Amino acid sequence: MEHRAYIDAAAAMLGLKIPTEARPGVDTYFQLAASMAALLEGLPLSHADESGTVFVPVSPRGDEG
Amino acid sequence: MKSALASSGADIAAAVRSGAVSARVAVQASLDRIAATEPVVNACTAVLAERALKRAELVDLSPRRARMKLAGVPFAVKNLFDVAGLPTLAGAAIEREAPPASRDAVLIRRLEAEGGVLVAALNMDEYAYGFTTENTHFGPTRNPHDPSRVSGGSSGGSAATVAAGQVPLSLGSDTNGSIRVPSSLCGTFGLKPTFGRLPRTGSYPFVGSLDHLGPFARSVADLALAYDVMLGPDAHDPACAQRDIEAVADQLAAGIGGLRIGVLGGWFREQTCPEAVAAVDRVAQALQVTRLIELPEVARARAAAFIVTCAEGSALHLPNLRVRPHDFDPLTRDRFLANALIPAAWAQRAQRVRHWFAQRAARAFETVDVLIAPATPCTAPLIGTEWLEINGQRLPARPSLGLLAQPISCIGLPVVTVPLWGTNPAAPHLPIGVQLIAAPWREDACLRVAAALEAQGVCSAPVAAGL
Repeated sequence: MEHRAYIDAAAAMLGLKIPTEARPGVDTYFQLAASMAALLEGLPLSHADESGTVFVPVSPRGDEG
Repeated sequence: MKSALASSGADIAAAVRSGAVSARVAVQASLDRIAATEPVVNACTAVLAERALKRAELVDLSPRRARMKLAGVPFAVKNLFDVAGLPTLAGAAIEREAPPASRDAVLIRRLEAEGGVLVAALNMDEYAYGFTTENTHFGPTRNPHDPSRVSGGSSGGSAATVAAGQVPLSLGSDTNGSIRVPSSLCGTFGLKPTFGRLPRTGSYPFVGSLDHLGPFARSVADLALAYDVMLGPDAHDPACAQRDIEAVADQLAAGIGGLRIGVLGGWFREQTCPEAVAAVDRVAQALQVTRLIELPEVARARAAAFIVTCAEGSALHLPNLRVRPHDFDPLTRDRFLANALIPAAWAQRAQRVRHWFAQRAARAFETVDVLIAPATPCTAPLIGTEWLEINGQRLPARPSLGLLAQPISCIGLPVVTVPLWGTNPAAPHLPIGVQLIAAPWREDACLRVAAALEAQGVCSAPVAAGL
């Protein structure tokens, strides 16, 4: 999908009304993010490459295990 | 004690502990300096004179005064830290409507428990999204060493207040470079600790996966002094590691014996102007370091930090972006709006690349203890600069100031930024910072190298002249 069409669709889905004066900037910055995402896609990863975020379970007080 | 203007935090604390100077006098000197320099610098968004003088009197009367590590030391904080009685602005006009904070942030409480005295809240880029502190709502914070230039950001007020001699110590935050960039451009020392080291409880988040808090100072000893006082976990910050306190101040005099040091090559020498390379080379020469080390895929690591920032930063502000986009700073609004639209798959991929890069960097640290790299590609640009010429490329100025900082904070490594002078022949009055980077939890290694460089006179953080 072309960037501008995606921006229109995603903004509508999220309930974002992009001000007219902001639209050129939004287009520019979305394309910049897309170029960064393309860089990330270019690195081969396997299913064993985990996320950098790790959830820490929360114990009830007095039961920290 | 030296004049109040040039005194270090350690000097002030020693004088107050001994009774040679009262905390009230030390704090009043700071308030006077703020009043004298603010018309030029614009570092502060709130000056807390009444609170500070009351607090100083409590320090003077305290039976613990002679043992307080920061007795009477004035300090200031980026305005994303909660200060009881004030709305936590985070650089945003929108947050003027927020209810006042009910209590101080944890790190403020820890500094004040040792006799420190909060005197001001400081300017920053809106919601910490920027590297210049050209804040449209609160005005730009000007570089004390050249007021026509930016202070760096997003903790621009935190660096400028220290460089202007308003306080010897301040706190800021660093998500993608926001301690290291302003330290570099304003010529202060700065410490970005390991991700998860210092608790963020009571601070306004930018990107929870990447946010760090840390100190600015005019000496390495003051950085270590403040850092030690702030150490220790806090249960209310889920990212804060449950580690024992590992104090560093006593290790500064150990020198660099036994530390393996290398210079970062590749990206960190390519995305630079000559003054940044000259600064690194001067540090390497002083330390007699010749080893060059390259980390793999640094551009992709920077991209990972970029995308994680996009995803988390914009999601946090989605409710306001929906109903009041015009109330955002024009310098952040378009980016927040664009970032709110990115697909989840991009953000998830970024977190996986981030972990991949962290593993490769860990391998490098099996053979080295400290890595040297520039903190910024260049010295401070003029306020309003839109484009920078970096190594033959024409790049947008504001995001590009973080090119060399972003890949390092992406994987949470501790960094001390040290300021060097005179490496830009066209602007010899301007500083530039060098990052001293260590493996996770090895703040001691960065600080030991910084202390050795300071002792040799390679780096220094003087108060700006002529203000």
